[in-house]
This record gives sequence, structure tokens and C-alpha cells, in this order.
Amino acid sequence: MNVEVAWVTRRFGRNQAVTGVDLETGTGVFGLLGPNGAGKTTLLRMMATVIAPSSGTLRLLDRDPGSYGPRREIRRRLGYLPQNLGYYPGFTVAEFVEYFALLKEMPPGRIPGAVATAIERVDLGTKARAKLRTLSGGMLRRVGIAQAIVNEPGLLLLDEPTAGLDPEQRVAFRALLRELGQRATVVVSTHLVEDVGAACSEVALMDAGRIVFHGTPDELTARGEGQGAAGDAPLERGYSAVLAQARS
Amino acid sequence: MSDVDLSRVWLGVAAQVWRREPGWLERLARRLLRSPGLARALVTTPSLLLGWVIATVAVLGAGAAATSWTGTPFVALFAPAVAGAGIAYAYGPGVDPAWELSCSMAVSDRMVLLVRALAVFGLNAVLGLAASAIAAAAGVSGSAAGVPGSAAAVTFDWLVPMTAVCALALAAATVARSAMAGVAAGLAAWTITVLSGQSVSGRFTAAVTDSALILPYLAFAAACTAIAWYATRIPKGTP
Repeated sequence: MNVEVAWVTRRFGRNQAVTGVDLETGTGVFGLLGPNGAGKTTLLRMMATVIAPSSGTLRLLDRDPGSYGPRREIRRRLGYLPQNLGYYPGFTVAEFVEYFALLKEMPPGRIPGAVATAIERVDLGTKARAKLRTLSGGMLRRVGIAQAIVNEPGLLLLDEPTAGLDPEQRVAFRALLRELGQRATVVVSTHLVEDVGAACSEVALMDAGRIVFHGTPDELTARGEGQGAAGDAPLERGYSAVLAQARS
Repeated sequence: MSDVDLSRVWLGVAAQVWRREPGWLERLARRLLRSPGLARALVTTPSLLLGWVIATVAVLGAGAAATSWTGTPFVALFAPAVAGAGIAYAYGPGVDPAWELSCSMAVSDRMVLLVRALAVFGLNAVLGLAASAIAAAAGVSGSAAGVPGSAAAVTFDWLVPMTAVCALALAAATVARSAMAGVAAGLAAWTITVLSGQSVSGRFTAAVTDSALILPYLAFAAACTAIAWYATRIPKGTP
């Protein structure tokens, strides 16, 4: 298992953002669904080793991120796209991706090829030498995805990756997700159910800091059948039914 | 005719065309720091413009204060804390747009901050040396008296020694593989330098026993601590 989360809790002052989450997942694309404020981003940031859990245990890529050496090893094999990707406006696309490849401690000889591959995979080859300040929101999102995948991570964490992408780019991105999920654990946090239906083999639904559903997209769809739940698509109705049940 | 994988060929070409050839300074830093990532962080420090401006203002402000009150050793002791807090804020979660991403990288974010501190002091020392030379030349030809002296004082009493202290801290951190060990070594070196200098001139005892200065010193230390805590805290983000 690349991700093992056991009874993890995270508090910010008096606010409990994540409450007793248990989760295990291996290779494949794992969708983390839920409304705004459900705790998805906080859970993802703990998996990205940006923040530590207040309690509970976390093992990533068979290592304990609580210790310095294993945490550094995890980070070498980690790809992370934050919800709000900050960027350096004066860097070019290639410089930005290369900078983070260096900070991930990739072998320097492998970096030029890896940077070119990552940029081409997100279809930004024609913009590789453009300054980031000149790019649109959707292109910046793709730059963020390129830096996340440049080291061919064993664990890829993507927070709202399709935000700002147009429908064509979104379809291409889902194909990329499926491809990446064949060799790595990909955790995608989103509130767009159609992304989950199209790309994920497994899904968890969070609400108020807890996981209220864990299964396949088909199982989530089945939870909405005959319930009269709100939604335009079967998966949306499953999502609404589970949330309604959790809140009742 | 054998099959040619065009996409593979293109990636090879793109890799060569898009690669950024490191300059002599970056190549030297790679060897000394044993980290290509830290070397790139060092040379890109001034290009992160907003952070650079804030850090430079903090460094020069602290330096001006330290050299104006040379008779009071605590000012010289606290000035690096002010400059350090300014740099940590400028290149920390307060201003750096990619801080969240940097926190998930294998290269320690504290080591990156230490490298940035060396870049800020080092480049400002070079600029200070140039300004001192220009001011001295202008002073010789009859410009306002005192200007050459103050530029040289900030450069030689503050920027150059602090660059040396940062270099020492970074060297210690690289050898010990711990940013905190590096910071401790740098602070120890600076404290010993300042206190021994003051002891020799007999001003140390007078400054310590002057009770009127104790409260301002404490307030100043508290403010520095608060800034440093804020600048290096773990970003909370949206729960």
C-alpha cells in the first residue's frame, strides 16, 4: 500500500478539519470527493508532508513521514499540485519545472529529458520558453501538473487539478491520469463528480472532516438509485444520497 | 529503412533546447553545497523580485541601525535577528507564492532560506562595496562630507561580516546536514565577534549596566521573535 492513513486527525486551533480518517490505497487513481470545507485539502496536505497530523499515523510509500530521513525519501518520489499553485512570474515554463525537479533531488543528468517529457505530456511544448506571467489560468494549472509529474512520482497528489481547464483539456487530462495510475498511486481531490467517474478506480467521499463513503464509482452510483436524490447524472445522485444520509 | 520514433527524437531535441545552462557561480555553488537544488535557489534569489526588495530593505535597515549605535552591543546582536526575520518573511509563507510547494520538496525549506540569506547579504555587500567606492570618489572630488564614511561603515561593519557569517552558517549546515546547526554556528560566530570587540574597547560593561536600555532591548527582542515565528510558521490554509 502506498498510502496508509490510520485514525488521522488534524486540528487548527479549535477547528477540527479532519476527524479520525482511515484510508488505504495502492496503485491506481483514487478520487477524494466532497463539498467545500469537507477536509479534502487538509488531508491531501498531510499526505504531501506539508503539515503533520495532530494525531493518528500516516505511512506513505512504506515510510514514516514523521522522521527526517524517510520524509526526504518520500518527497523525492512525491508529486504535489496544491489547490492554489503559486508561481514565479519571471520564470519560464521550462525553468519552473526544472527548478522543482532540482528541489526534488532528481539526478541532474536526467533532468533535461524529464522536464521535456513532463512539458510535452501536458501539451505545453509550444510555451516551454514563455514566461509564466504571460500564461492563462488553464496553462498555469498545466504547468503545475508538469512540475508534479516531472520526477515520475510513486505518489501523486492533485488538489483540484481540472480547475481552470477547458473541456478538451479536461478530457486529455483524464487520459493522462489513467495512464499515470497504471504505475503510481494518484490521489485526486475534487468536487467535480464527472472527473471521478471518468478517471478513478476508487473513491472516498468526505464531509465535515470524516470519510462517509469509500468504494468504487459504480458503488457510489448504486447508492443513489431509487433514492430520489438531487443530481443530473447517476454518480451525482449517488453523491447527493450519501451526503444526505451522512447529515441526517 | 529503419523506423524512427519521432516523438522520442523530438523530446531529445527539446531537452537540449529548453535546458538552462548553469553559469560559473551556480556550478561553483553546486560543488560547495553538494546540492544542485540549493545552487539554483541561490542564484535565483534576486529574480524573485518582491521577496528580494523586502529582504534588502530589512538587511539595510538593520545594518544602518547596527552601525549608528555602535556603542551598544545589543543592537549589533539583535540586528542579525531583524535581518533574518525579514529574509524569512520575504522568502517564507508571507510573500513567496510557491512556499506551499517548496514545503513538499526533498531539499529542506530551511536550507533554502539559509541559501537565500547568503544571496541577499552577499549581493548587497557587492553593491555596498561599489557604492562605497563611488561615494569615496565623489567625496574626493568635493561632494557632501560623511556620505563616503556611512556607506563604507554599513558595508564593512555589517554587510561584509554578515556575508561571512552566512557563509559560515551554510558551510556548517552543509557539513552537519542540518540548517539549525548552521544557524547556531552563525549566531555563535557573530556573538563572539561582537562581544569580544566591545570588551576590548571597554564598552560592553557600560552598555549592559545601563538600566535605561534594558526595556527597549526586551521589547525589541520580543518583536523580532514574533516576526521570526510568524515568518517560519506552518501555513494553515483552508481547513
